[in-house]
Amino acid sequence: MDIRAEFDAFDDKPRASFVAATAVLVVGVIVSIFALFIWLNHDPTRLLEAERPGYDGVPSGAAALAPKVNLAGVFESMGGQPADLPGYWPSFRGPTVDNISQDAPSLANAWPAEGPKILWSVDIGNGYAAPAVMDGVVYLMDYNEEERKDLLRAFSLADGSEIWRRSYKVMVKRNHGMSRTIPAVTEEYVLTLGPKCHVVCLDRVTGDFRWGIDLQTEYGTVEPLWYAAQCPRIDDGNVILAPCGEEVLMMAVNCESGEVQWTTPNPHGWDMSHASIIPMTLLGKKMYVYAALGGIVGVSAEAEDIGAILWEIPWVAKVVAPSPVPVGEDQILITAGYGTGNMMLRLSEDNGTFTPTVEYSYAPGEGLSCEQQTPIYSDGLLYGIMPKDAGSLKGQFVAYNPDGTLKWSSGNDSRFGFGPFLKADNKFYILDDHGVLTMLESSTEGYTQLGQAQVLHGHDPWGPIALAGSRMLLRDMDNLICVEVGADAS
Amino acid sequence: MSELKKIDRRDFMRGAAAAGFVGATWAASGEKTEGTVWQLDPSKCTQCGRCATHCVLPTSAVKCLNQFNICGYCDLCFGYLQPGSRNRDTGAENQLCPTAAIKRTYIEAPYYEYLIDEDRCIGCAKCVNACMVFGNASFYLQIRQDICINCNECSIAKACPSDSFSEVPASKPYIYLTGDESTTKP
Repeated sequence: MDIRAEFDAFDDKPRASFVAATAVLVVGVIVSIFALFIWLNHDPTRLLEAERPGYDGVPSGAAALAPKVNLAGVFESMGGQPADLPGYWPSFRGPTVDNISQDAPSLANAWPAEGPKILWSVDIGNGYAAPAVMDGVVYLMDYNEEERKDLLRAFSLADGSEIWRRSYKVMVKRNHGMSRTIPAVTEEYVLTLGPKCHVVCLDRVTGDFRWGIDLQTEYGTVEPLWYAAQCPRIDDGNVILAPCGEEVLMMAVNCESGEVQWTTPNPHGWDMSHASIIPMTLLGKKMYVYAALGGIVGVSAEAEDIGAILWEIPWVAKVVAPSPVPVGEDQILITAGYGTGNMMLRLSEDNGTFTPTVEYSYAPGEGLSCEQQTPIYSDGLLYGIMPKDAGSLKGQFVAYNPDGTLKWSSGNDSRFGFGPFLKADNKFYILDDHGVLTMLESSTEGYTQLGQAQVLHGHDPWGPIALAGSRMLLRDMDNLICVEVGADAS
Repeated sequence: MSELKKIDRRDFMRGAAAAGFVGATWAASGEKTEGTVWQLDPSKCTQCGRCATHCVLPTSAVKCLNQFNICGYCDLCFGYLQPGSRNRDTGAENQLCPTAAIKRTYIEAPYYEYLIDEDRCIGCAKCVNACMVFGNASFYLQIRQDICINCNECSIAKACPSDSFSEVPASKPYIYLTGDESTTKP
């Protein structure tokens, strides 16, 4: 090989390497650009589906299609007669609005083995509505599922025979009970609030129709979950209602004329809860206190500024069934179940201006909270049944100090579910989820059981207890019974 | 040092034939044992959440079921809605389920149906717990047998704090709340 050929061969090697490297680089750039293109155009969220309101197919404006209800309805005389018996339980939480029978006769301290005597029992419609009693007549807001009617029924306290009924047609479907309110009665009137927010005023004795209001169509009330549970309250000739409509939060309607006496605005758009309006006097001022869905409000009940909002405070809870409880001179206990807990308010007043302050607020299990029934304040203690999410105290009957500390509880072996309870003759009466009525000593020191008896056999006996004289009225989902609890019962 | 006894080919074949004969005779004469699968007892379950995290599969074989004959068909379904949710609707911010595996459908006022999308369900039991505390307790967990690979030692069973898991007959692989399989479907 000559020297020239050797040089040529030597030069070809780097040239070949250069060509190969260039080719690799070009291919690499092309692949990189392609990969970048793919990457930039790839949507990693393409498989995700948005979850937005309205995907459940709820039709809009369904409430507006509700037919107009003829609230005068139909009266039927049923043949029974009022009883000549003492006793007065005129509305939700009794004559003194504290669920304590202040003038009860002497009641039995022990029961025979078979339990207290059940005097009578009547079949009633599916629900939790409890009775009011006056002049030997038991008034019950009921629902007839076959005929699709709300009906107010008047029974004799003596034997449960039905005296009269007045009904109006309205479609109510089973949804954890149907009826759930207690009428309000005075000498002249009986007021009812039906599951679909229909208010009706009747003559208490004759059952004659006086007037009616459809809170949904006339005030824009949003029907609460599982139907309305607000019990009407009659005060000074007016029925006090909380429609919580588009414009009216609370109002008074004259029982005689049906004319609206005053209204309270609803600036925050709070909704109707399952609680009822509780009249109370705090710091010397009479007021109507209501726990709406959205907040708590105190409305003046005195002539000079009646209907004016004295104070308000927001409070968030999905469901509010217990009503506010006045505690002492200036405090109010608010509680609700379903994970909410409680809140103790303290009111202060400065030159006519009321200001609520949250004294404490506890989660369920950390302080007294109730799911369905309203606590009782008595002898300086707050009594109630703890909700399902109260840990080891679940379902126990408890006594709490107003400062939020536990005084005593009924113990692991004494649980009562959602049961209603009442105080009379220095005793507490508690009805548990299984229809067992328990009587215990009213004590600030501890739980002392005096008697226990199975009185109801149906499910969900959650309607509040009424006591007229020595006759106790209790209900489960389908039966109303009258039990003799007097000391003289033979 | 002792010499090992040598086994010739003929002896080995005789021994193998004898062992095979004994084994076949035992198998033919013995009781038939039914196959078993793992399942959890809803009455023992405490909704601890470990079913979602301790299964050997990438997504747990434990799924939520809704027993429709117990369900209240509520608008306010505590198994569906977040505690404190402002609205009762299908917005993601209102749903309790971390994977939106519960489908809420309006039936007629005031009823709603709640169906479980098992492809999305991870078995975390959040809905089961909420329905247990505040509702009718119609939601509950079960191992889906078409997904479970039936490990000899179930990883979730080992981690279960309430001893809810056991091996059940393969012919009856589910423990429904009311014993009626059909009510887990609408």
